[in-house]
Amino acid sequence: MCCGNVSDSRVRAEPDLESDRMNKSRVVYVTTVFVAAISGFAEAPPNHIDLSKFPATQLDDVVVPLPSEVFNVLDKLGTPNWQGELREPTIKNRGERTQIALQLGSVVAEGFVAVEAADKGRVQEIGRDVLELARAIGVESTVLSRTNSIITKADAGNWNAVRRELDGALTDVKNAMIELKDAQLAHLVSLGGWLRGTEVLTSVVQKSYSPDGADLLNQPDLLKYFQERLAGMPPRMRNNQLVAKIQKGLDEISPLINQKITPGSVRRINEITGQMVKAIGSRA
Amino acid sequence: MDEHCETILILLSLCALLSPAEATIDDAITCALQAIDPYVKQGYIARDDQWGGDLGLREQKAIPHTLFKGNDYWFCMGTDVDNARVAIHVYDSKGKIAENDAWQKGRFAGARVLAQATGTYYIIVEVTSSPKERTTWAMVYGYK
Repeated sequence: MCCGNVSDSRVRAEPDLESDRMNKSRVVYVTTVFVAAISGFAEAPPNHIDLSKFPATQLDDVVVPLPSEVFNVLDKLGTPNWQGELREPTIKNRGERTQIALQLGSVVAEGFVAVEAADKGRVQEIGRDVLELARAIGVESTVLSRTNSIITKADAGNWNAVRRELDGALTDVKNAMIELKDAQLAHLVSLGGWLRGTEVLTSVVQKSYSPDGADLLNQPDLLKYFQERLAGMPPRMRNNQLVAKIQKGLDEISPLINQKITPGSVRRINEITGQMVKAIGSRA
Repeated sequence: MDEHCETILILLSLCALLSPAEATIDDAITCALQAIDPYVKQGYIARDDQWGGDLGLREQKAIPHTLFKGNDYWFCMGTDVDNARVAIHVYDSKGKIAENDAWQKGRFAGARVLAQATGTYYIIVEVTSSPKERTTWAMVYGYK
């Protein structure tokens, strides 16, 4: 190790993760400091790297953020009228598996809006909707305990816990689909959640436009990821009327997200995502 | 080869099969979760999802992730391979280092990002030393 690296302030020794069980005698303390000194400091990372070197070794998938990551930021942007952002329940009109997968993602995202609105009744209804959709797609057992928790914790007004359960339900459903060799449907669940989340985000931002709020839409790579996933689907799915409509909508959003995001583009993205979410909830 | 030697060879082969299992992703995940645990206690929400695989020595892997301005993230990496060392760092979409804090301690490493802009960031994971040719690793993250 180069001595110069030790002085780098960004790379520092973290308290020993395995030392919890040790007693706090002086000898142990000195030992710990010594161990940290010889092994806790690392080579300083370069300040700049050439990302073009990486595509060959990138993981296949980008990390699709959870809805709570977006809503966590929205919390900090002010106090929108969340009740006004809630959509009417839509899952009466479920169709094929592709539509159900999209609905599942969309309904979970709706759950986050209901949590923001602190609407116990609506959250509980969404918990039951998630279970019903999961049943329709064959992954009911995966989310049963989650949906029960959503209902119980909403009743107790434990909103942070409800958020965690909603995130967990989304992850569990996707993992179950992947285990069932249905990764395409898992992508649609993510996409459904992203579309509804983006519709809400743009709605909130356009009502009180700020560059900080608009900056939250700077997600070109995520959009590209979804476009690529749709394009890579087998023809029977890609040619599905709803999937084709969503693909067209994403193509319309793409140029708006790939440039400076203006109040006009926020409004347009809201219109497009709103139409797509409506289509997801409509009879196929 | 007489029958006695043959029996010994078979027993030795069985012993080899019964020797401690090779490192697995599950074990690496346990280590990554161990690394993020202190931050969970500080109020970070750990995502119930993990990323992982195996890497050769000095081999790097990039995990692209959209981070949101205003969120505070900790990315933690772990391996269960004894005497291995791992590193994790975060760069923005222009390849500029974006982390506000980072640490490396043997089989564990972490990097913190207070996202200054929404966009794609690259989490770069690396095995910096290891007694094995391939080292299993896992990454988890938390945010608040």
